Amino acid sequence: MSETLSKLSTAVIEGDLEVMEDLTSQALDEGKEAQEVLNEGLMPGMDHVGVEFKAGNMFVPEVLRSARAMQASMSILRPLLTESGVELAGKVLLGTVKGDLHDIGKNLVAMMCEGAGFEVKDLGKDVEPDVFVEGVRDFGPDVLGMSALLTTTMRAMEHTIKSIEEAGLRDQVKILIGGAPVTQSFADQIGADGYASNAASAADLAKKLISA
Amino acid sequence: MRANYQVNSGVRFQMLSDDQLEELFESVLHVLEYTGLEVHHEESLQILKDAGAWVDGKRVRLPSYMVRRALELAPRSFTIYARDGNPEHDIHIGPGRSHFGPGPTCPNFIDVETMERRPYVKSDVPLVAKVVDALPNIDFCESLGTVDDVHHDLGATYEFAGMFPNTSKPIVAWSYDKYDSEEIHKIAVAEAGGQEAFERRPNYIHYCEPLSPLVSTEDALDKLIFAANHRVPLIFTPCPIAGGTAPVTAAGIIIQAAAESWMGLTIAQTLQPGLPFFMGGVLSVMDMSNMILAYGAPELSLFMAGITELAHYVGLPLWQTGGCTDSKALDEQAAIEGSLSAYFSALTGGDLCHDVGYTESAMTGSVFQLAMMDEAIGYARRITRGIEVNEDTLAVDVIHNVGPNGHYLREQHTRNHYKTEFFYPNLCDRRNYEEWEMMGKQTMSDRVVSRVQDILATHEPSPVKPETEKVIEEVLASAEKRVK
Repeated sequence: MSETLSKLSTAVIEGDLEVMEDLTSQALDEGKEAQEVLNEGLMPGMDHVGVEFKAGNMFVPEVLRSARAMQASMSILRPLLTESGVELAGKVLLGTVKGDLHDIGKNLVAMMCEGAGFEVKDLGKDVEPDVFVEGVRDFGPDVLGMSALLTTTMRAMEHTIKSIEEAGLRDQVKILIGGAPVTQSFADQIGADGYASNAASAADLAKKLISA
Repeated sequence: MRANYQVNSGVRFQMLSDDQLEELFESVLHVLEYTGLEVHHEESLQILKDAGAWVDGKRVRLPSYMVRRALELAPRSFTIYARDGNPEHDIHIGPGRSHFGPGPTCPNFIDVETMERRPYVKSDVPLVAKVVDALPNIDFCESLGTVDDVHHDLGATYEFAGMFPNTSKPIVAWSYDKYDSEEIHKIAVAEAGGQEAFERRPNYIHYCEPLSPLVSTEDALDKLIFAANHRVPLIFTPCPIAGGTAPVTAAGIIIQAAAESWMGLTIAQTLQPGLPFFMGGVLSVMDMSNMILAYGAPELSLFMAGITELAHYVGLPLWQTGGCTDSKALDEQAAIEGSLSAYFSALTGGDLCHDVGYTESAMTGSVFQLAMMDEAIGYARRITRGIEVNEDTLAVDVIHNVGPNGHYLREQHTRNHYKTEFFYPNLCDRRNYEEWEMMGKQTMSDRVVSRVQDILATHEPSPVKPETEKVIEEVLASAEKRVK
């Protein structure tokens, strides 16, 4: 493997944000394809991070730092990958539902999904169903993730799914929900495609839903 | 005759020095004056502006004199009364007094028959209240869950309606918004004999939660204003997570939580001077592997001790946290985490210690954890009661009379003191091996389960007045209409 790509892997693992752009450009200058940089530079680094995180040797702040480093490289690679028609990991649209201002969990999901290679758009908190609908239409995500902390705001997930159905967009997107009071049976009940109990499994499930 | 004799009447500790406390205090004032908070509530923005706050849109900065004045107005000592006049169930808030009780809003509950985890339902409420009523070291009641099998807007109203008739220990009432706050208040006032009688002898406390970092939400302030206008003692308790929604350091999370509480304090004292007010809340760490708010972390106890000392430094009572665990089972982890945090909380003299009975990091309420912690709290209370030293307890004469080779069993001095000097366990087993074997080799968790089942089968809480029962029915009926 090229020295530059191996340096990229190490930089992802160490979350060394400052060197990412230079190393990425260098790899491209050396004649590597964007996809090669992604698959042989960034992903081995991120896979290592995932394994170490699950083993309890790396912690959330380090994973997030690695995810951010990877994103810095992706901002250069993404247009090239799209140009050459490469299938990317996919797009994830996220938001905390209407009436709910709690967003630490949703923010974690966003960062975990970025680490998994997704392009993520975060609509923030207290998001109206209409705003989710517009987001699905404009951003064209593969997965929509909704979060709520309160039993009272949980119902907004159901309303949002209805709005997406009414807009005729339900078939275009997989819907994933989470948050403290949310359960698998609630997800089934309101017609979501999946439920994740924490941020790491949300990213895993998003991958699974897309490849299914 | 003794001169200049210092008495330590209980075991307490002081973690922070006066200099450190002064520095924390000044830092909270600094955050409130220079950073400010977001206040998502029109009426509160107006109240604060009229009282001298600097308001830019939703951002509110409080000049420090406003906060100092609010602190001056809030009382350090007051009483929350048992609804039935039983003085043993009154809670006297004041220096050196710790009280314990469960917490609110867990989505799940450990079923008392099957011992399985399942969603919390309406019929769990009276059962929790009964267990609280019977346990000697549990002083106030919360429900340990969010009712799932009623209209979701009415969960808190059903919760209060289920707790109130089943314990005469004061209730800490959680609610969604001002509508259910009003329904809860109607029930409490009916029992007290009118609003004025309630104000003289309040029989419940109202609980609101601002959002970390640095946001006072609309619902929290709706509830706060309702409580202030009706002179309901108030808890304003944030739940910051170190490293997530608050600074990672103990000093940092403590001052942020205090700033969040004192925004509520300032509004409440402006509206209703002298309103009993508890600052909060739950301060712990984000577990950096599992991404949960850890309820069994040693830092929880440490952060809570720090904020308790800060509260007492400024003359406010504190809403403490302890007796809780991250364990999913009634096991050794649950016993270690719960007992240590309950004991530590007792050592701080934190005024109302809640979340006793929380398991699975607040995702599941358990009356079994609650009953096990009742024993741990009894143990902690015996220790914090300390050692009394006087002519009688020194027992120099008794030692002289008994002398070498004698025994103390027959001494009047022994008879006078053995019941109060010693702690008598309800659950911990001290039998010899043969007896223990004969009794079926029961473990601690076996004994906890039988104690809970025994309470549920035999304990009769004192009833509410017949007219209150009627009011409860009316409140529930009109609440159902409200959501139709």
